[in-house]
Amino acid sequence: MSGKNSMTVDEKMSTVKIKIDKEAHITVNKELCKNCTDRPCLIICAAENYKWDEKSDDLVFNYEGCLECGACRLICPLNAISWSYPKHGCGVKFRFG
Amino acid sequence: MEKTTCIVVGAGPAGSACALSLSRKGIDTILLERGRTPGEKNVSSFVLFMTELKRLIPEWEEDLPVERNVVRTDQAIFTGNDIKMITSYNYDKIDDPITFTAFRRRFDAWFAKKAKDAGAELITGMTVTDLIKDKGRVIGVRVGDEELYADVVVGADGYYSSVGEKAGLITEWDPARCTLGVKEVLDLPPEVINERFQVSDGLGCEMGLWHYNYGKLSFGGTTLYTNTDSVSLGIFARVGELKEKNVKLHDELDKLKQHPFIHNFIEGSTLREYQAHIISHGGRIKPENLYGDGVLLCGEAGGLMDTASGMGVPTCMTSGLMAAETIDLAVKKNDFSAGTLKNYLKFLDTTSMLDMVHESKRYSDSLVGNNAGRANYMADIADSYNNYWNADYMSKDYHPLFLNLYLKAGKFFVPSLIRWIVTPIVKGFSLYKKTVEKIKRKIRSRFYEWKKQYDS
Repeated sequence: MSGKNSMTVDEKMSTVKIKIDKEAHITVNKELCKNCTDRPCLIICAAENYKWDEKSDDLVFNYEGCLECGACRLICPLNAISWSYPKHGCGVKFRFG
Repeated sequence: MEKTTCIVVGAGPAGSACALSLSRKGIDTILLERGRTPGEKNVSSFVLFMTELKRLIPEWEEDLPVERNVVRTDQAIFTGNDIKMITSYNYDKIDDPITFTAFRRRFDAWFAKKAKDAGAELITGMTVTDLIKDKGRVIGVRVGDEELYADVVVGADGYYSSVGEKAGLITEWDPARCTLGVKEVLDLPPEVINERFQVSDGLGCEMGLWHYNYGKLSFGGTTLYTNTDSVSLGIFARVGELKEKNVKLHDELDKLKQHPFIHNFIEGSTLREYQAHIISHGGRIKPENLYGDGVLLCGEAGGLMDTASGMGVPTCMTSGLMAAETIDLAVKKNDFSAGTLKNYLKFLDTTSMLDMVHESKRYSDSLVGNNAGRANYMADIADSYNNYWNADYMSKDYHPLFLNLYLKAGKFFVPSLIRWIVTPIVKGFSLYKKTVEKIKRKIRSRFYEWKKQYDS
């Protein structure tokens, strides 16, 4: 349910400070995703970094807006996600955690 | 080759407590943190309990960065339509505070600085990528291309502990036994907070609404607590169940914000920050996997966190302190093998940690998988007022409220009555058996001693 005043996830994500790493800390083997029937990553990610592009029938993934909760790593049924913490002090900076 | 005595990975409550205690004992310690500032990767879900901290840092009151002293806690069973709440307002805690709300980026940084002031070397922006091993024994950590050597490595690096993983102590992460939390920090003027939460300046309130059979999910929760000029509103649920039932947790949070009960508290607020975090849900790691050759796990890395009660920080600190005691012993013996580090369990057993792990595993078991008994039962309690709200004396089927409550109470008391009767009998019997064994053993040893004397 989306009320009148509710924000989109993108708007919410604009409040989060993230220092982007040049090197991706999450990589997805997208070939495996094509055969995936559940695709739980699409629902679990609170930042909605995983999206399914119907046109190209491909997973669209963006590591830059990651909140580093790691839920995607837990639930991927095909182990297509290789996940580690960002290095060199990069990644999310919660100011009011 | 640079070598120190101890490397603590992770400057959270467990890591900083461990490093602080070690430094005070005069043991060389390096404290590594992957964030630029300690605490910037952390998200708290409730208030912080400070009993352990006050014991550790008696001069805490000078500069502890907290938001509000929490004197009121509301805990509720929440099914969506019905909220059954118990409020506890403790007046003692106004002058003798123990629970606070705090922002972790400030709190953890403050605590890590205390460890640094005590002599630990704090290095931030360092993500441990691997452990250095020699014949199966951990002798250091790898941070990118850099190598740091130590006698013992303490993993205090949270749920996805890379120390635990690389040391082979943690082999799996079970989605059914962990909870995902999504939280929003919402700006509100202090006087509005005071009025809505019925607290005065500087004092705060926390609310825990425990969801049972709310929406599609059998178990979950809402947290709502006050900061100085903002409130934190979060929702959490088990990852396994979110996947199974195809529920978007952040949509649930939006839905919750429209719930009249929550809406009254947060109306007119603006979003300051959006957060997500994952924690375990009890009984994640077996005690024998808490230590290895040259390695110890503490805090959430070792599952030593009372998440079922919503108390992470004090339990993590306690385990960190016990890890420090173990290392102190190992330094005295100059032996960092698993054999010596095994004493960690003994030290943990002097606290409530191991019992807590056992209990929270049981609690978690009662919620995992098809075992939704607890959820149904709690939802049942929540529904026990249905007859009050649906009074209809014209209907032949209507049971008056008192009768209904009595029936519900019976449902609770009969099984526990059986347990009360059966448990002492079983325990008494085992005690009887043990005592008989003991007496037999004593008689036997007396007999042998006597025989020896007689023979000689």
